[in-house]
Amino acid sequence: MKNIKTNSILTAVVLTGIAGFSFAAFAHGGAKGIVKERMDLMSNIGKAQKSLAAIFSGKVKYDAQAVRDAASIIESHAGSRIPKLFPEEPVKDPSEALPAIWQNWAEFKHISDELKSYASALKANAGNDRMATNGQKKTSMGSGAMMGQKKTTMMGGGSQGMGAGGSAKSIKEQVEMLTKLPPMASFQKVAQTCSACHTKFRKKKK
Amino acid sequence: MNIKKTFLAVASIGAVSGLGLATYLFWPISYQQRDFAGIEGDVSRGAYLARASGCFACHTNAKTKGPVLAGGGPLKTPFGTFYAPNITTDKKNGIGNWSLTDFSNALTHGINPKGENYYPVFLYPNYTSLSNQDIADLWAAFQTVPPVDIKVPEHDLKFPFQYRFLLTAWKKLFFKDERYKPNPEMSKEWNRGAFLAKGPTHCAACHTPQNLLGGKDYGHELNGNANGPDGEKVPPITATALLKNKWTKKDIVFALRTGTKPDGDAFGGSMGEVVTDGTSYLSDQDLSAIAEYVMSVEHKNGKSVVKVKTQK
Repeated sequence: MKNIKTNSILTAVVLTGIAGFSFAAFAHGGAKGIVKERMDLMSNIGKAQKSLAAIFSGKVKYDAQAVRDAASIIESHAGSRIPKLFPEEPVKDPSEALPAIWQNWAEFKHISDELKSYASALKANAGNDRMATNGQKKTSMGSGAMMGQKKTTMMGGGSQGMGAGGSAKSIKEQVEMLTKLPPMASFQKVAQTCSACHTKFRKKKK
Repeated sequence: MNIKKTFLAVASIGAVSGLGLATYLFWPISYQQRDFAGIEGDVSRGAYLARASGCFACHTNAKTKGPVLAGGGPLKTPFGTFYAPNITTDKKNGIGNWSLTDFSNALTHGINPKGENYYPVFLYPNYTSLSNQDIADLWAAFQTVPPVDIKVPEHDLKFPFQYRFLLTAWKKLFFKDERYKPNPEMSKEWNRGAFLAKGPTHCAACHTPQNLLGGKDYGHELNGNANGPDGEKVPPITATALLKNKWTKKDIVFALRTGTKPDGDAFGGSMGEVVTDGTSYLSDQDLSAIAEYVMSVEHKNGKSVVKVKTQK
């Protein structure tokens, strides 16, 4: 004969468990499953960026170890980890991901790889010699001007990633350049990568 | 009372008034001519200004990764779809046949070499504030852009916006061709910031609301625009709004340099491109100046007001 009391307690425990689990899953704006996972991932990257922003904007004293720790977090959250959270199957939950992601899958993956590489570079370069506190101004001038040639041009120097005139340097080459620069340059590369993804692949505020 | 006579009287007054209004609105505009005698343009200053002015961002097709300055992709607006032209030195499809005067008229009057009006999506209402030296510098820099033989499509606009002559009326109502006038009560830094924000860097173009006819509503300077480019909701950047979100002057400079906000998020949407293609090239002084200006614009009692500092 079944013990009614045990069954009731058992039922109560199971239902509480389900409710608790659902509550946790429904946190973060009601998102669940994979959408919540990737929102959490982005949130963690954002927190690391927040502490890096405080350091590099001069709000808090420069701390190379803190920079390494934050860069490490970003590094571990990037690379192949991000595309895995964006499967092609349509999700029922509201998401800020744009269809452009799957229409430009190679680019999406590439930007995620860049994020990992530049975060790794920031980790490696955190102890580099620091110059100006407010970082590297990109140059408007073409390399011609820098090399003392007679004809100076406004092309080239600034056109990183902008079409045929832009920099065709590989991630490897960019990372190589960063080893000789202040840590801020690596941070800027990370920040630029965040923007590159968000401008093309995240829903704009309407 | 003779109804027919009254009707005729009212109709006549209406017609005359209408004719008068139309005459006023469409009467040819006489623009201030710029004098470039004795002014020599400098390529590196011009290149800097081109970055500050956002030329690269609009006149390059980022989506297709098209050649730099050889024309932009489709820009959808409530008036139709615009295509920013090829401004390389190509003689057939670019501005290779232009003179300095043509270039100046485009930037400061919103007139093309044929004398037709440009659409204010080309931001001459902001670029008109450039000095003669600025224009000469830009011209020198643009001469160094290699020709690219790409023909950009014509704009695809809704009725009646395809008629450029209508813009004369728009200009009469909303456009004044004038250089930036410094405010003597404010600091040099503030004036540089105001010049940039309202002029070449044109923060106001997106961050200030506009009326149905596309004219800027300067009573709410920098207070945000619900109908921004590509349908975006552009946030307010008055001191009032920024302080509410705990932004400091340092945060503004850092964000314009790196695209990173104090909460750790990166600018997405158009502002991300503004930083990557534009403000990240500006000097610390200029970014500081922009921040100084922006932090002086308060929005209270339903309008934007510049807070005049008692000490400079």
